[in-house]
Amino acid sequence: MRLLERFRGETPPQKKKKGSSNYAYAVTRVRVMKSKLLPKESYPRLLNMGIDEITRFIQESEYKNDVDELAMKYSGGDLAEHALNRNIALTFDKLGRISSGELNYLITAYLKRYEIWNIKTLLRGKLYNAPVEEILEFLIAAGQFTYSFLSELAAKATSQEIVEALRKTEYYPLLQKFDGTNLADIENALDKMYYSSLFEAIGKPKSKDRKLLTRFIKLEVDVKNLSNLFRLKKAGVKQSDEIMSLMIEGGLELNTEKLAPLPYEEFVNELQKTHYWNSISGVADQDMDSLINLERRLTRKYLEYTTTFSHASPISIMPVMDYIIHKNNEVTNLRIIYRGKEVGLDDNLIKDQLVVI
Amino acid sequence: MVDAGTVAVATQMIGDAGLKAIGAGIAITGTGLASGWAEKEIGSAAIGAMAENEALFGKGLILTVIPETIVIFGLVVALLIK
Repeated sequence: MRLLERFRGETPPQKKKKGSSNYAYAVTRVRVMKSKLLPKESYPRLLNMGIDEITRFIQESEYKNDVDELAMKYSGGDLAEHALNRNIALTFDKLGRISSGELNYLITAYLKRYEIWNIKTLLRGKLYNAPVEEILEFLIAAGQFTYSFLSELAAKATSQEIVEALRKTEYYPLLQKFDGTNLADIENALDKMYYSSLFEAIGKPKSKDRKLLTRFIKLEVDVKNLSNLFRLKKAGVKQSDEIMSLMIEGGLELNTEKLAPLPYEEFVNELQKTHYWNSISGVADQDMDSLINLERRLTRKYLEYTTTFSHASPISIMPVMDYIIHKNNEVTNLRIIYRGKEVGLDDNLIKDQLVVI
Repeated sequence: MVDAGTVAVATQMIGDAGLKAIGAGIAITGTGLASGWAEKEIGSAAIGAMAENEALFGKGLILTVIPETIVIFGLVVALLIK
């Protein structure tokens, strides 16, 4: 077939598998890594501690090396922020190193979200003239970009220089359209590009684990779309076109085209027909003060579903995905506690922001 | 396809002892390959677990050698054929 395509002068489709995957090795290793995540019992203890005590607590856990490494340079909340970012970057880099073949290919495709996160952070930072140190605090070198490359980018004077430095990346054609006023559009386009390339990387799912992975990504798209729909409805945005331009294609169950033009009550009635309703039924009132509760419940559902998927297909990429999102959730929780304590928020308020499983 | 006449001639040439030896060989080959494949999968998983937590060495070792029973069954079958 390939020979025939070559005779016809057509380019054969790009081969996606690169060598055999080491699922047994990588998945077991990742499962042990997951067992080292902070247990849910530690969060009430952390909430009762001060910033220095929390730093000491995480210094005695998996974050020890990161805190030790950065303790000379930073202190307090900044130390924690940098240590958490360093840890997550090294952990996800390790996932790339311990996997091979198709597994490695899919993990790399999934972790490209951090490249996009970093590009967004850099552009936002430069646009609002944030100091380099502040930009560095939010960079997570978990994708293909190394920390030193990202630091170089952060040190550039303007956002245009950053765009030029990314000339050789796949994001350049999109970033070229950035003119200093359309950051929101560029960010949305980057997100959409990420999901379409991820679906492309997975390909047409045939095996059970590929099907579960597709379902997992589609679930993530639905969760994102659903919280964006709630935000937009709450903000009173009614134009269907405007809403649809912010939606990501490829969701699992939500029909965004149908939901976008509906007024709030009908939107909620329509949601009752989906399986998301069980998770958000108690908090989806029109007069709710904030979306925090709703987003927390959606995140919890997403985490629980992924764990279920990982049990359904134990020797596949799903346990790795399960670990990635649980690790990310742990770091987010720790960051919330740190930052909350730093600005003196009430413990109960901080507790309400956490997603503990 | 080999016809029945050719099989009969081949059987006569090999003899009963030869057929038994072939059967024993198949039993050992099949079970050897099966236990090797199973040990490869379990062994690499055990190494993965040990790389993260050294305390799992004992459990990993025991689990890795459990498929060895398959080849022992093969050996028993081969001896019974003899």
